[in-house]
Amino acid sequence: MNKTLDPTTDYYAVLGVSDNADQVEIKHAYRALARKLHPDSGNGDVAAFRMMQEAYEVLRSPALRKAYDRQREARGLGPQIPLQCDITLSRQVVQVLSVPQVVYVLVDIKPPQDLSPVRLPLNLALVIDRSTSMQGTRISNVKLAAMNLVDSLLPEDRMAIIAFSDRAETLVGSTGAQDKTSLRSAISQLVPGGGTEILQGLRMGLQEIRRHANRNYSNHLVLLTDGRTYGDEEDALAEAQLASADGIGISALGIGDDWNDLFLDSLARRGNGLCEYIQSPAQLHTLLQNHIRDLSSTAARNLSFDVNCAEGAELRAAFRAMPYMSDLKPQPGQAIFLGNLGSEAIVVMLELVLRSPRSGERRVARLNIAGQVGGASEPMSLHRDVFIQFVESPPTQGPPTARLVNLLARLSIFRLQERAWEALESGDVRQATSLLESAATRLFEIGYRQLGQATLKEADRVARSGEPTMSGRKTVRFGTRGLTSRSSEQWR
Amino acid sequence: MSEKHGEMKCPSCGSENLPGTLFCVQCGTYLPSGGPLRTEPFSEQSQMRARPWTRDSGNDDDRVVGIELEVLETHRRVLLSAESDILIGRLDAAHGIFPEMDLTADGGLEHGVSRRQARIYVREGGWFVEDLDSTNGTFLNDERLTPYLPYRFHDSDIITLGTLRVQIMIHRESKAVI
Repeated sequence: MNKTLDPTTDYYAVLGVSDNADQVEIKHAYRALARKLHPDSGNGDVAAFRMMQEAYEVLRSPALRKAYDRQREARGLGPQIPLQCDITLSRQVVQVLSVPQVVYVLVDIKPPQDLSPVRLPLNLALVIDRSTSMQGTRISNVKLAAMNLVDSLLPEDRMAIIAFSDRAETLVGSTGAQDKTSLRSAISQLVPGGGTEILQGLRMGLQEIRRHANRNYSNHLVLLTDGRTYGDEEDALAEAQLASADGIGISALGIGDDWNDLFLDSLARRGNGLCEYIQSPAQLHTLLQNHIRDLSSTAARNLSFDVNCAEGAELRAAFRAMPYMSDLKPQPGQAIFLGNLGSEAIVVMLELVLRSPRSGERRVARLNIAGQVGGASEPMSLHRDVFIQFVESPPTQGPPTARLVNLLARLSIFRLQERAWEALESGDVRQATSLLESAATRLFEIGYRQLGQATLKEADRVARSGEPTMSGRKTVRFGTRGLTSRSSEQWR
Repeated sequence: MSEKHGEMKCPSCGSENLPGTLFCVQCGTYLPSGGPLRTEPFSEQSQMRARPWTRDSGNDDDRVVGIELEVLETHRRVLLSAESDILIGRLDAAHGIFPEMDLTADGGLEHGVSRRQARIYVREGGWFVEDLDSTNGTFLNDERLTPYLPYRFHDSDIITLGTLRVQIMIHRESKAVI
């Protein structure tokens, strides 16, 4: 029996059977083809016949077929590719050392080429801050953006509108988007006045969404605020966590400079949504429109992944690199949520620490990716293996790909400034200043002069007063977060 | 940077990083090349040296008030006061280097400009340039300067930093009779 098998050849296609064909089917297909292609027959084809024989020999043996399926899957050539998922390593060959060492793994998750995004009906709640500080252009821009949003809804969508200040009220309970009139009139009645208490608004919004929440909807709460909330942060975060367990996402759009970006950021992270910084109210309209479009148009939903490390390997850090950067803060044994996949790829960077006691090729980690692809309500999953070859003598290999280095350069700047804020929270002003200054220098180096200057200015303020400024920190955080996106050009 | 056994020391801040790390955890320096921060020396350099200034006749004409530098590559113009020394180089906040004339935005790194490249200053009514032992040298009208020696220059001279050419325009307050 010929034992060589080639995972890059699709043996199932050669025999013209599906990948879950049973032994009987395979045998029938083989016989029919053999009669047709045999060199002794009229229109025989020696090459095709050999290929067909090779395919049959592999597929008829359960052990070989299993090995073949496994190898194909590991290469991303599996039977059906629900999602395209490519892996790039900073190096494939690693020298055996007595100390732990780092290997970076770049993971590209893309919708398969032939899959066009599906539009999911929306089940939205718009939770609007109507505190006194919203008076003037802010509230009028919010109204305008909300009106435009209502206009863009399709009949199958649902929306609720909640306004909050010191207390919250439901202006319109979750209603079908056919009823645009009542949605519009609710928006036009918004009058600013009072303080900012996010928790009540959040609770009412979630309540409205829950009444109609279902897996075939994109269930999402959008919070619009310009202020800080006091004392109810922890409860709000807990609500977000519960909501995300129910498949409800939360996004937070902060207007102006006074809101607490660290709080809204963690709210959005727990709610598997997005936190955005809206510097001028005029930006709100486009941002909201794009955000809602991304919510409804998805190639895959509720994507999550976990990394199973082999012995001697450890996942030290995981970051989302694109479409925007975020620290995924991996916890051992817990899946990392990635959210929805739109038309843009999701790019993740993993930092593995390897201990290498002996040479040989080994699997150091397996990535499991799960989610609902297209309009499917049932989740699918796939996995990718990370193989490393350990060698005794220093390997000769080229530098990592420019793309990996570029992304990592930007990620390292993002990390420097994120660590600066953490240092500052714990009172280490010197470390925070030094991290911000380093971040500024790297920004200058890669040509982001404006953002570099803003970061330097903030470093200076931190060094003087031991406190960040609300606007400075937002500029630096949201600016560096977007360094891998096209919008970052404004900071050059 | 030894990667043989044990950890890698960042050439920029001295932090220890695990082998295989690409960007220093503490300061973000690119470790495989010792950091793109580091000015790479060019292979060939003009060896012709300019003649340093040796305190000859100081025919003080007008009082110098300022100097305008135009980076010929980018046409960026910077007006600087003559009141204190002017450091030319590339900004590196982490190392406390804040040049008055920062060439980062003009592609300073690609043009081989050092972080501390040169300084210019006024003495006795004349303008002087001094190379600060930069990696790729400073040139006055295409002649290379010996590090740490003052060279006098005049209006419309060209100073080359690494390979970045800068045109000088001196602004004077004329003592001429009104």
